[in-house]
Amino acid sequence: MNISIKNVSFSYTDCIDDAVLKDVNLQIESGECVVLAGESGSGKTTISKLINGLIPLYQSGTMAGDVLLGDKNTADMTLAEISRHVGSVFQNPRSQFFNIDTDSEIAFGCENLGMDPEEIRERVNRVVKEIHIEHLAGRNIFHLSGGEKQKIACASVNATDPDIFVLDEPSANLDLKTIADLAEIIKLWKSRGKTVVVVEHRLHYLRDVADRIVYVKDGRIDCEWTPAELEEKGPEYAASLGLRSLRLPSVVAALEERAQSIAETITFRNLTFSYQKKFPILDIPELSLPKGKITALLGHNGAGKSTLAQLVCGLRGSWSQKRAARKLGTYLIMQDVNHQLFTESVLDEVLLGMKPKDESAALEILDSLNLKSYAEKHPMALSGGQKQRVAIASGVSSNRDLIVFDEPTSGLDYRQMLAVSATLKALANRGKTLFVITHDPELVLNCCHHVIRMDHGRIVEQYSL
Amino acid sequence: MKLDPRTKLFLAIVANSVILSAPPVYSVLMFAVPAILLLFEKKWKFVLAFFSLYLAAVLGFEHLKTMDVGRVGTLAVSTMMIVSRMMPITIVLYYVMQTTKANEFMAGMSRMHVPNKVTIPLTVMIRFFPTVFDESRAIGNAMKMRGIRLFSLQTLKNPFAILEYRLIPLLVSLTKIGDELSVAASTRGLAPETRRTCIVPVGFHAQDLIVFVYCLIVAACFVIASRAKQSIFDIISAIFC
Repeated sequence: MNISIKNVSFSYTDCIDDAVLKDVNLQIESGECVVLAGESGSGKTTISKLINGLIPLYQSGTMAGDVLLGDKNTADMTLAEISRHVGSVFQNPRSQFFNIDTDSEIAFGCENLGMDPEEIRERVNRVVKEIHIEHLAGRNIFHLSGGEKQKIACASVNATDPDIFVLDEPSANLDLKTIADLAEIIKLWKSRGKTVVVVEHRLHYLRDVADRIVYVKDGRIDCEWTPAELEEKGPEYAASLGLRSLRLPSVVAALEERAQSIAETITFRNLTFSYQKKFPILDIPELSLPKGKITALLGHNGAGKSTLAQLVCGLRGSWSQKRAARKLGTYLIMQDVNHQLFTESVLDEVLLGMKPKDESAALEILDSLNLKSYAEKHPMALSGGQKQRVAIASGVSSNRDLIVFDEPTSGLDYRQMLAVSATLKALANRGKTLFVITHDPELVLNCCHHVIRMDHGRIVEQYSL
Repeated sequence: MKLDPRTKLFLAIVANSVILSAPPVYSVLMFAVPAILLLFEKKWKFVLAFFSLYLAAVLGFEHLKTMDVGRVGTLAVSTMMIVSRMMPITIVLYYVMQTTKANEFMAGMSRMHVPNKVTIPLTVMIRFFPTVFDESRAIGNAMKMRGIRLFSLQTLKNPFAILEYRLIPLLVSLTKIGDELSVAASTRGLAPETRRTCIVPVGFHAQDLIVFVYCLIVAACFVIASRAKQSIFDIISAIFC
């Protein structure tokens, strides 16, 4: 089924002047795989909402122009009708499943179409085999990792067998291995003649499968290339547009091992954790983090990285482990920063953990993170990147020496990633020791000094960059 | 042992009304049903923990209620009283939440001709409980990180601050998740006008009948006993002797 977007403008308010989309024209042929790329806020997600009908049927705003699926105008359809033709996968794996168990979730779309239960069961079994998720059948979704949840989401849209697949930044929370699995799923859809639209700024995994990369800027379609054309222009060109590189930089390839002795380290001993004695989740006899440097922690989803971070920060583990962490002074910047902003103004946020409270020192910290002009604003009114910096500011003000970051760049475009990287470097220059859990090789190459790689609860590799 | 979602709904309504208005004997008779059913689901630990706490609260309350225990003691006694009343309700709801799948619940409701406009929000609510706990735990961790503790001089001075710290991030993230959830559900064809099918078979079996009859008998005993101002033991002995 082909998609035609004709002269579409859209704004979230009633005023068409500050439109999110301005006169967008896009024709996507049946069986094509198209990537919508662009910086955050460029309007690429809004275009994807035109295709799955959320605009104009769910989101309120003012729209001009037409969107046709085949020969039908989406404005004349209902969301339920559109869902027969278009399947959507969203960015946040936590909030896109409706059921609590995986089997019901995969069947959910088919149930809504009123299909025969016997046929649904057959389809569920078939989809589970196709996507290779036999091990996830019959599980509680709340106990799955982000990557596993995203696979279930793909399986659920696959079960209804739509003609068009729309994916909105599906890789934001995934590790490299799971991203490769996602690429396989997209290839499978394409080989069946399905139309696939992916909104994304990580391009490396789509290099072999995408037919076109459409670059969106300021609500307009700026230009488009085939992956080969974009690659010819070189990585600097892509970076200048705020896109992540087409070729994944290999952390190991850039590795330049130096046999330097590290002068001072923060050392943790006996970092072990298990739910049952026989199956340790984490088993690390010694962890040394060089003082005043940035250490990256790599590893697949489920390797024990988050558990390690929680142990280091004293949020988990035995009483003595917790006390040791508190004495050392560690601070965790969570992946979802919404969880750690409590007060009514940015300044209060920084003062909250400060002892003794010193307003001028707090303002100085805010200044160093480019937040001074927001001091009186409500933290929840800020953008994602600003919220993250507020959380960092409160970590700095609480005078902790070791700051742990959980996935600071998930879902960020190239420019935002560079901004985070600059912030991390500035913190290290202030003498803080940083420990960064990440899947992002570009961030690691940009700012980290040391790398620790984990697998199955153990450290398997350690090196300096 | 699987019950029909309609039976569970009936159980929840009858059990809660009896537990809230009747003496402890009836509570025990009522929550024995979900407790036994939870044992079938292999939730040994939960049932054991529940019974220990309930027993402690009831015995403590019965033992202390007539004594003069002072101001702090009164607080303890009333806490015990609240616990002994609320625990049975918790176990009934826990059982229903734990064992009812969202699609099963929707199928059951549509069999009772409840319109989708009522069912869908109710289902979202069931789906939401685990999310609330997840989010709340993450926020608790963040508060610990900042050194805000539930019991400290600082919070005693300003008890509302702690409520604010806990609730504001929770509300913000729940609103966001709720919106994303309804977007995801509507792009997958969930709408008031659709007629759904369900892969989980829904229907009444022998066990449903047993639960129905049992609930009705206990409720009837309570109503008769309270009319006649007698205890349940008198009624049982009147029937059998």
